[in-house]
Amino acid sequence: MLELPEGIRKRIHQLQELSDKAEDDDQGARQELRRRLAQEAPEVVARCSDSARTYRRLLAKRSSGGSPLVQEAISERARRMALELAGENPTPLEVLLSERVASLWVLVELQEALLAAWYYKAEGASPAFVLQMARLQESCNRRYLGAIKTLAQVQKLRGPSRVQVNIGGNQVNVSR
Amino acid sequence: MAWERRGSNLYYYQSKRVDGRVRKNYVGTGEVAQARAHADETIRRSRAARSERARVELEEAKTLASAGQELWEAADILAVAQLVAAGYHRHKGGEWRMRRA
Repeated sequence: MLELPEGIRKRIHQLQELSDKAEDDDQGARQELRRRLAQEAPEVVARCSDSARTYRRLLAKRSSGGSPLVQEAISERARRMALELAGENPTPLEVLLSERVASLWVLVELQEALLAAWYYKAEGASPAFVLQMARLQESCNRRYLGAIKTLAQVQKLRGPSRVQVNIGGNQVNVSR
Repeated sequence: MAWERRGSNLYYYQSKRVDGRVRKNYVGTGEVAQARAHADETIRRSRAARSERARVELEEAKTLASAGQELWEAADILAVAQLVAAGYHRHKGGEWRMRRA
């Protein structure tokens, strides 16, 4: 299992408590949350990002079927996907959320491949096995879609990725 | 599948479940029965091995899927904290909207 360090887990739990209070319109909690996010979030997010990369390597290794070349190719494709999703000048949280989407993409692809392999095996698979695999796949798909949604919500916070500026009567589109 | 001894002779039977009840069918005795018994045993072992492979693969897939669970929950908490700190709230528990001042 991929576990977060105890200290990081504790700080995340505290952030969640503050976030719940702030969501209930507790202004003091919101200010404290902002302060804590500014002070602690970079380190917490960085530790989570490290774990996310470890997890992605684990998935790529399992998906590769033992081939180092395939493992590298999957890792590289997921890395590029995460970079592309994060966009230009991403915040550390956007990086983490993009890495999550890329990792879950690898996981979903892996499960589809596993299930397909069993379908096409001459000996076939039992209905109970196929059902359980399909359930697992469905749950991972839900997580994957949820991760995409969360990333989109956080990116929306930063406003549009292009800003229109008028300079000397000319309209200029500036990318962030 | 079973051999049954009666006197000095061995008789081979196959058992099958029909309508929820086990039905025993006589196959034979001698070399033909031995060949059938051998084939049945091979099929049984092959099925057991396949079932074990499926079980191991399913366990691995579950472990792999759940390995990142804590991490992804942490990412969700951080994302929500960020949105809440920025003044957003979940409208009726769903869509994120900016809280009116």
